[in-house]
Amino acid sequence: MRIQRSKYKDILGLNRRNQEYVRPYNSPSAKRLADNKIRTKKALAKEGIKTPEVYKLIRNKQQLKFLDWNSLPKSFVIKPNQGTGGNGILVFYGKKKGEDGWIRPNGTVMSVNDIILHIENILDGRFSMGNKKDIAIIEERVRTDSLLKQYSYKGVPDIRVICFNGVPIMAMTRIPTKRSDGTANLHSGAICVGIDIATGITTHAMQMNTSALLSDIYEEIEMTQDLRENKPLRGIHIPNWDNILEIALKCQRVSKLGYIGVDIALDADHGPIVFELNARPGLGIQVANKAGLRWRLEKVKDVEVESIKRGIRLAKSIFGGEVEESIEEISGRKVVNINEKILVYQKEKDKKGREKKEYARAFMDTGVLTSRISETFANRIGFLTTTRYFNNLEMPKKFDSLKDAQEYIDKHEKRLTLEDGIKRVAKIVDDGGIKIRPVIEIKVKISGEEKEIEVVILEDSEYHLVLGRGELKGYLIDTSKTFKN
Amino acid sequence: MNYSPFTDWLIQNGISKQTLELLVAITIVATIVSIFRYLFGTRSYGIYAPIILAIAYSYTGLKYGLSITLVVILISLISYSVLRKIRMHYITRIAINYCLLTIGLIAFVIVIKKYGLGLENISNVPALALISIAALSDFFIKQFVQKSLKTSMTTLVSTVVVASVGWFIITRDYISDYVINNLWIIVALIVVNLLIGQFKGLRLKDFLRFRSVVKEKDENPKK
Repeated sequence: MRIQRSKYKDILGLNRRNQEYVRPYNSPSAKRLADNKIRTKKALAKEGIKTPEVYKLIRNKQQLKFLDWNSLPKSFVIKPNQGTGGNGILVFYGKKKGEDGWIRPNGTVMSVNDIILHIENILDGRFSMGNKKDIAIIEERVRTDSLLKQYSYKGVPDIRVICFNGVPIMAMTRIPTKRSDGTANLHSGAICVGIDIATGITTHAMQMNTSALLSDIYEEIEMTQDLRENKPLRGIHIPNWDNILEIALKCQRVSKLGYIGVDIALDADHGPIVFELNARPGLGIQVANKAGLRWRLEKVKDVEVESIKRGIRLAKSIFGGEVEESIEEISGRKVVNINEKILVYQKEKDKKGREKKEYARAFMDTGVLTSRISETFANRIGFLTTTRYFNNLEMPKKFDSLKDAQEYIDKHEKRLTLEDGIKRVAKIVDDGGIKIRPVIEIKVKISGEEKEIEVVILEDSEYHLVLGRGELKGYLIDTSKTFKN
Repeated sequence: MNYSPFTDWLIQNGISKQTLELLVAITIVATIVSIFRYLFGTRSYGIYAPIILAIAYSYTGLKYGLSITLVVILISLISYSVLRKIRMHYITRIAINYCLLTIGLIAFVIVIKKYGLGLENISNVPALALISIAALSDFFIKQFVQKSLKTSMTTLVSTVVVASVGWFIITRDYISDYVINNLWIIVALIVVNLLIGQFKGLRLKDFLRFRSVVKEKDENPKK
């Protein structure tokens, strides 16, 4: 139980979000800007950040009465200026021919009268915070980029990036489903998919449980739902990723919100478009990424980030790397780096019976079959008596052929393996000659998996451990990473 | 009954015992609401609704209180689903809803009088308590309109749960007698709220919500 609790420490809850991040870092004036879509649009436009183009602003019933419906383009969106949580947003795809109505994403037709009623409700403040009088915005409908469109049931998927102190912290994309009726609202059943900050590749996909009482419990899903052709949700490469991170950080600068959630959509023609700035971004993003926000926020709390580029670099190096494990899950194989630090267990437990471990610099070498361990390292993990015994044996240093070596082994096997630690002896081609060397069994941990492996003790080389083909079965080797000494 | 000197002084100087009891009840239920919100993560319709509801229940008894609540919500649901189809201003719609609610509640009392249904004493329910419960309709519809039926329903359930806990505590005679004679408890409640106000840890609901995140970490200890 104690172990479990310490892990909850990584997670950001509502209490802490409000007290440690929203209140101290988001000033009331900055929050007011984010809560007001019209002001947000103006502020972002000054910095050259795109937001959906506004066709009409309706401030009162008089303006609504005189609205020329024929002046609107075929498709548009109606939004409350100070709405919360995506409520009160209506999307229209086109005008119904011969009728006084507009087509909704679900195919139904909404009459002009009903639309007017909806706008009146917006003006009355039905969707605004604290039911204040509001303004209705009629704006451009974003046409989703073809890549993300394939995953979405109507509607527009958006990408949420949480930034803090000039660093992008965590990201996800929200994908509309049939259940969410084409909206990107998680509470209505949209899918949230975590995104690896370093690569812009999606990781885990989660959807909220349908039953009302458990509304905040998520289930992991693999594929899209209710589409003509359902696709896996992991491994999607979000286009323009660096650009998206840059826009998110620019939004943070403009809005002066220290802790911000930026909602970005990918438009087929205009590229990334900012939908909304959020001064109190929700915490469900942690579920989508299967990672806690708290430790990430704490990591960058005191860092001075001078530039947007540096903020992005920082995020990539600290928070990246979720994708590797994703590949494991997709291919069923673990990824190991060509150079890797590997945990090796000591031969003997300590006095209290606990296992002691050492880190070994290891090299993955598919060119050899049997794994090798350097003599010094073997001594360090408790095989000193073994190496000493074998080195003191009287035997030829080199053999001319494998056949000679085998004959020697057959003849002297008992004497060569008399010491407890020696499992067997092996013929090794090394330095152009053939040698007989002792084989020991050690316990290691590779990619989180413990196993016992046989290794040949050899003279010291650059690496403590060389893992050969025999032990690398089922692993993918990533050659892009090397040690940073 | 014997009061502590301070309480005695208060009563001598014009504060009735009932007023004192009610005022103390407010502080207790208010604290319960903050405990539920910040330690458990239960959302209620603000702080006013559960306080009024708990006090109303203490007048009606839990059985009557809950059944009136149920009737109020059912009537509001039906009336609102009809009314939303008619084009009109928001407040007028809510006003009509209250009119229908009144008719519905009168009908309810009449039906109960005739058929009993285990609620024979309905006529003895104080009118003010009945109205206080009816006010729940406003909170319910506002959330229904702004968010969704589902959200409003869950919030309603937790509001009623919090109010019922509040009802249970304020109707225990030994608790109210003790608090009335030990009014320093109000100061203690302020301290409790100060502490909860500083609390940054996870709420009970967060533990449930983020269970899957923690589970994942157990499987990948290297993260």
